[in-house]
Amino acid sequence: MPEPRDELKAWLSVEVEPLLPPPGTFERVSTQARRLRTRRAALAAAGALAVAAIAALAVPQLVIPALQTGRQANATGTPSGAVAAPQHPATGAAGSPPAPATAGQPVPAQAPPPLSVTFVGAATGWVMAQSLPAGQCDQPAAPACIVLRRTDSGGASWRTVHAPPAHGPNGPTGVSQIRFLTRSDGWAFGPQLWATHNAGRTWTQIATGGLRVTALEARGRRVFAVWARCAGTGAGFASRCASFTVYSSPAGGDAWAPALKAPVAGPGPGGGAASLLLTGTTAYLLSPAGSLFAGPLTGASLQPVQGATGAAGQPPAPPCPAGPPQPGGQPSGALLAAGPPASLDLLCTGQSAGGQQHKTIYASSDGGQTWQRTGQAPAAGTASFLSASPSGALVLATSLGIEVSTDGGTTWLAAGGTMPPGGFAYAGMTTDTQGVAVPAGPAQQGVWLTYDGGRTWQPSPAGG
Amino acid sequence: MGKFRTTDRAAAEELFNACYPRLAGWVRRLVDDDDTAHEIAAEAFTRLLARWSSLENPQSYLYMIATNLVRDHWRRAGRERRALRAVSAASHGDPVFHPSQDVHVRALIQSLPDRLRQPFLLHYYAGFGVREVAAMLGRPEGTVKADLHQARSRLRAALGENGA
Repeated sequence: MPEPRDELKAWLSVEVEPLLPPPGTFERVSTQARRLRTRRAALAAAGALAVAAIAALAVPQLVIPALQTGRQANATGTPSGAVAAPQHPATGAAGSPPAPATAGQPVPAQAPPPLSVTFVGAATGWVMAQSLPAGQCDQPAAPACIVLRRTDSGGASWRTVHAPPAHGPNGPTGVSQIRFLTRSDGWAFGPQLWATHNAGRTWTQIATGGLRVTALEARGRRVFAVWARCAGTGAGFASRCASFTVYSSPAGGDAWAPALKAPVAGPGPGGGAASLLLTGTTAYLLSPAGSLFAGPLTGASLQPVQGATGAAGQPPAPPCPAGPPQPGGQPSGALLAAGPPASLDLLCTGQSAGGQQHKTIYASSDGGQTWQRTGQAPAAGTASFLSASPSGALVLATSLGIEVSTDGGTTWLAAGGTMPPGGFAYAGMTTDTQGVAVPAGPAQQGVWLTYDGGRTWQPSPAGG
Repeated sequence: MGKFRTTDRAAAEELFNACYPRLAGWVRRLVDDDDTAHEIAAEAFTRLLARWSSLENPQSYLYMIATNLVRDHWRRAGRERRALRAVSAASHGDPVFHPSQDVHVRALIQSLPDRLRQPFLLHYYAGFGVREVAAMLGRPEGTVKADLHQARSRLRAALGENGA
């Protein structure tokens, strides 16, 4: 047997084998470095402008306006890849007056409001938007008005790329959301389903037999989607759904097959929502009735999660029902997120009244078999999306802004930066430090980005 | 390891051509595949070139960034492995590992605390002198020497245990 010292010495003495750069690497690196410099300079300039604006306002009024929103700076309770966002409620609000620009907020004049965003790493992401006002782009007779913009610089700059030839969501037709798993494989959906496997150069519509795709996530080598039978009209394509099922396909192709033995029923005539969540190993479906199903990422059938203390043969009831759908199809009553390495986080919401909403966080470390209450999020604002960073920080998008918890939901900190009126429809972390958010307000343009773990957010002109 | 203080694109390209293959190869021994190694090396150069004009020692900065990026990669990969192990343990019993010697030693280095791992990789592996490592990490030379000694001791002990 070799001496320990020998093994270490042998490992260290191995000559490093040079690895030649792929063609074009230096050009790509130079371009990205230039964009990084530009972004830093822009952020510095924006900060300076904000300070200048504050100073200008402060002197004559002797009042210094806060850079953050009007909420409390933090809240304490007693005891959440490719990332992607839901559609924001852009439709139905055509004609709303544009929000006044905030000091220091570089909002481009021509950028259309974003519907959805997806990133496949810190640098590369796509934003889906509409080139016509929502009230016009949603019409089936409208010309293809869905637009896609891509960044390869972490949001510093964006360029228009090929989009599926579709209109906005209107009952059974149109698309509203975008997901990419890699730079090649991506999907547009909600309610129709389109796929690309060549970085968006061409898009193919996937036949769903009249079912509407209300959720889609991709991870590993597969893509999963919720296909629902719904009767909702207009922008409410994900409402009045009578049944839900899960389909899966290899990410690199279009071979969709059922991944749930039988469709699960909606809760009643009003319908409910189903939530789809992928962790590193498992696909989860939270049904409208509140049952949790799980299966491997191989595409094998999802099975009911058996509760440790639940009735024999019966799936355990998660702490709260999924509730009615938000405009993009996400549940409003139970928001599910994946924490590390295989934990689940669940936000249960109460009725929203007077701008307040009861929000309780639960966590499960056994794949949803048991749940423990871990904390309570600030009551101010209505919750719209919960996500977790790779290391487990919870990020909650609300109608007022973004709340962040680094201790599993026990304590929360209101994120700073320039918050858009109406808050956010989505916020998620691409890495532990970088994240992206989609504003909820239909008049808001661009997406919001954070580079400090969610503590502060700034707008990125996705239309630029 | 010379200094490159010009803002000239040709100098940047010269540094890239001179350093990229070794840096990517260095990273390759610490990660699992060529793609990840290229991704980390390219990201390190991107960050380097973004701060080109303000750097005293670009090459040190380059390896410092790469070391941090490798650490981040290890953390992500560790989380994925733990998750896979959890699933494997639940359904198939204990997972079976077939580590090569290279991966074995790497895993031990990976388990060192940041304080010891950084100087170890920079000195023994990237080839920087103690003085350079001390400057890169902002620590006294004596501290770096002690850290290197402690890192070696821990690795030898761990190799001894695993080999017993």
